Amino acid sequence: MTRNAPAVRLEGITKRFGDVVANDEVDFTLENGSIHALLGENGSGKTTLMSVLYGLYDQNSGTIHVDGEERTFESPRDAMDAGIGMIHQHFQLVKPMTVLQNVILGHEPTEGGTVDEASARADIEEICERYGFDIDRHLDTAIEDLDLGAQQRVEIVKSLYRGAEILVLDEPTAVLTPQEVDGLMEVMNDLRADGRSLIFISHKLDEALEIADDITVLRDGKAVGTVPAAETTEQDLARMMVGREVLFDRLEREPGTGGPVLEVEGLRVPGDRGREQVEGVDLTVHEGEILGIAGVQGNGQSELIEGVTGLRRPSAGTVRLNGTDIADRSRRDRIEDGIAYIPEDRQTEGLVQEYTLQRNALLGNQTIEPYAENGILNWEAVNDHAADVIEEYDVQPPNPETDAESLSGGNQQKFIVGREIGHDPEVLVASHPTRGVDIGSIEFIHKRLMELRDEGVGVLMVSSKLEEIQKLSDRIAVMYEGKFIDVVDPEAVTESELGLLMAGRTLAEGSGDGSESADADGGVSS
Amino acid sequence: MSGSETGSDGGALGALAARLLDASVLERIGIGIASTALALLIGLVIAAAAGYDSIRFANQLLVGAFGSERAIARTLRSTTIFVMTGVAVAVAFRAGVFNIGVQGQFVVGGFSTVVSIVWLGAFVPSGAVGGIVLMLFGTAVGVVAGGLYGALPGVMKAYGDANEIITTIMLNFIATGFVGWLVAGPFGAPEATATRTRRLPESVGLPQVVFGDPNLSIVGILLMLGVVALIAVIMTRTRFGYDMVTSGYQDTAATYSGVDAKRMVISTMALSGMVAGLTGALFVIMIQGYYTDPSGIGNYGFDAIAVSLLAANNPVGVLPAGLLFGGLESAGSHVQINSDIPVQLIDGIVGLVVLFVAAPELFRMIAARTGLGGDAE
Repeated sequence: MTRNAPAVRLEGITKRFGDVVANDEVDFTLENGSIHALLGENGSGKTTLMSVLYGLYDQNSGTIHVDGEERTFESPRDAMDAGIGMIHQHFQLVKPMTVLQNVILGHEPTEGGTVDEASARADIEEICERYGFDIDRHLDTAIEDLDLGAQQRVEIVKSLYRGAEILVLDEPTAVLTPQEVDGLMEVMNDLRADGRSLIFISHKLDEALEIADDITVLRDGKAVGTVPAAETTEQDLARMMVGREVLFDRLEREPGTGGPVLEVEGLRVPGDRGREQVEGVDLTVHEGEILGIAGVQGNGQSELIEGVTGLRRPSAGTVRLNGTDIADRSRRDRIEDGIAYIPEDRQTEGLVQEYTLQRNALLGNQTIEPYAENGILNWEAVNDHAADVIEEYDVQPPNPETDAESLSGGNQQKFIVGREIGHDPEVLVASHPTRGVDIGSIEFIHKRLMELRDEGVGVLMVSSKLEEIQKLSDRIAVMYEGKFIDVVDPEAVTESELGLLMAGRTLAEGSGDGSESADADGGVSS
Repeated sequence: MSGSETGSDGGALGALAARLLDASVLERIGIGIASTALALLIGLVIAAAAGYDSIRFANQLLVGAFGSERAIARTLRSTTIFVMTGVAVAVAFRAGVFNIGVQGQFVVGGFSTVVSIVWLGAFVPSGAVGGIVLMLFGTAVGVVAGGLYGALPGVMKAYGDANEIITTIMLNFIATGFVGWLVAGPFGAPEATATRTRRLPESVGLPQVVFGDPNLSIVGILLMLGVVALIAVIMTRTRFGYDMVTSGYQDTAATYSGVDAKRMVISTMALSGMVAGLTGALFVIMIQGYYTDPSGIGNYGFDAIAVSLLAANNPVGVLPAGLLFGGLESAGSHVQINSDIPVQLIDGIVGLVVLFVAAPELFRMIAARTGLGGDAE
């Protein structure tokens, strides 16, 4: 192994799926002991390229060199044996099994035919100590009892345990809170300092700039270019990714002055385990207003949203739509009342993966005319609706008979947004409307939400992205442990102040000591 | 750099399995025919190894299923019942509810039909009109009884979180045992030597029109086609069907779209039970003419699971699948009478067909339900 050879060198990688070229003659070089960010919109071929490297796909042409030697990987196991570890976007963990069992799965140290847990435990503890991981305290906890950040650390430890020198992290920040992102960045830094080489897949410009040494941008399956992170800007990267100028400035705000459309009073909502997750929330959304709810994930935002949209039955409180209490009405009633909902999870809730876009266009509209009359479906009207949404929202590929599962995340989300706001809702509830979505689509969805607000619709939005909250909201409510800790004016509050509120402190008490928790999510420059 | 691989496991076996699971309609028919042929071939080899004349055996199977007008009538008669019970299973499976209790609902429906017709028969004058009134009334009672017997495990699942696979299996035993007791005791025919209820009145019966088989009526065949069409239309053209099928594919998305999961389970089970009850009614009116100990009337409701799986739970696909089972049963009874080949061997061959054809779909459903398997990601 020559120390100076690049850790990974991909040359002219081409991968086709049928007629679709996912990777087109891509060159990529990961220098030893560095972090290389792979940027690109959803569907630009980042994951495909890494799957080729990891032995999940055979490339149609091109070569893979690891540590200077040409290699072919028949399977991930070959790649692992060559020292490559991959942290997938969707964790490959067995949920009911413990952390220890997951880490050693497939690489169990044995002694006399039985698993030698003691030596495994010692090895894992050593890895944890070296990189400051906290999961050695949870070795006997089941994966399903850990939060997503901890699960991700288990994945990383698993790769290290298998001796990975080269780590591929596929959109690792997509599921993390701002605080957890900071933690991950530290871990990545430590790994680099320890001489390991990392590939960081992302579509978030600020993260790539913060952590990477080099940045390669993919667009439509081609490598647009590789630049040192120190010598580029967000504007340049965004142009490379999207292929045109992207505007980052705050969209013009014309606050509406309408009356209240959605009024929530004293709302209490139980969570999955019966404990109340929303403990008395009051809120009002006016016509032509976006009320943004900020907060660290898991502080009751999901339960609040589900209490408003009818997916979860509140234990107390009222939800009034245009003055009528709808707290006891079913989800379907509330859809008919005009509450549109962009759900938190587009893959399990917002779309039926195995349905075509046409069939998905009906989802939620089963009782709405003209799609259904007296229980009889009008597929023509539904298909027209699907075609309209696809055209108006630039859903790719523009084929209404495509299965939802074959669309990229951004296109799935655009389709849902289009479907939900397609027919004059009274109120739009949007939960993480741009999570895991590429820049072009984010810009597009944001514009739509603003337009909707300008048309006089009340919008209630939850997001874990501070810049999104600040950019779109007319007022920001910060949620902490089931309650609103404060409602603030986005113009009058800084990101660091929001960070404090999200940590459960009020502005009066915390302004002196808490600045380190700020700038959690970076934020796109304004 | 060979051909494309399908998932993280890769390999030819994984690719083949994925191929079987994702098969299109035409491929499914191809797989069905090939599997049947292969199963029969293996059966013939076993028959030859056991010392029987396998050429004659094959010939008799074919003759038994389609060799004469009588054989065809017998095949169609069984097909009617297989198709309808198969549709009952398909309704539930498509909605993601595992109704293993079609047999019980079929028994309860059929028995209720007999009892209600015999009871009302005392008040209705004999003759064609009276017969039609009795049949309509009895069928309605059978449908309602089957539907209620299906809705019961639905309620238990919705409000008691009771696994429907277990409750429906148990309810099968209860139906068989309880109806068996009623037939032997309170509702037994005093004049009969065998254990059975009183016969349906002479006026009750369906016109034959085609084939000279007293136990096959064109009305039954039309009813079968009507049920297939009705369920297919419900699934593809109505809000209820969309809600139901969506629940089967992805219950979280169904809930998001406003489906009340509890009510959906109950209505699915009720609809499935109603189709099973209707089949029971047709069975007694067209074929049986009375009710007997249900442990001896055949396992239509169980075989229906295989029929439905073979059809990928598509109500239209149940037609060819039911025909295959009808043909096998008809062939089996012919061979049993006309040769010395034991019935166990014939059953074994039917089992091979099920194994070859329906198993992939079963695995797919289990995988989908448990969240295992499927995509690489």
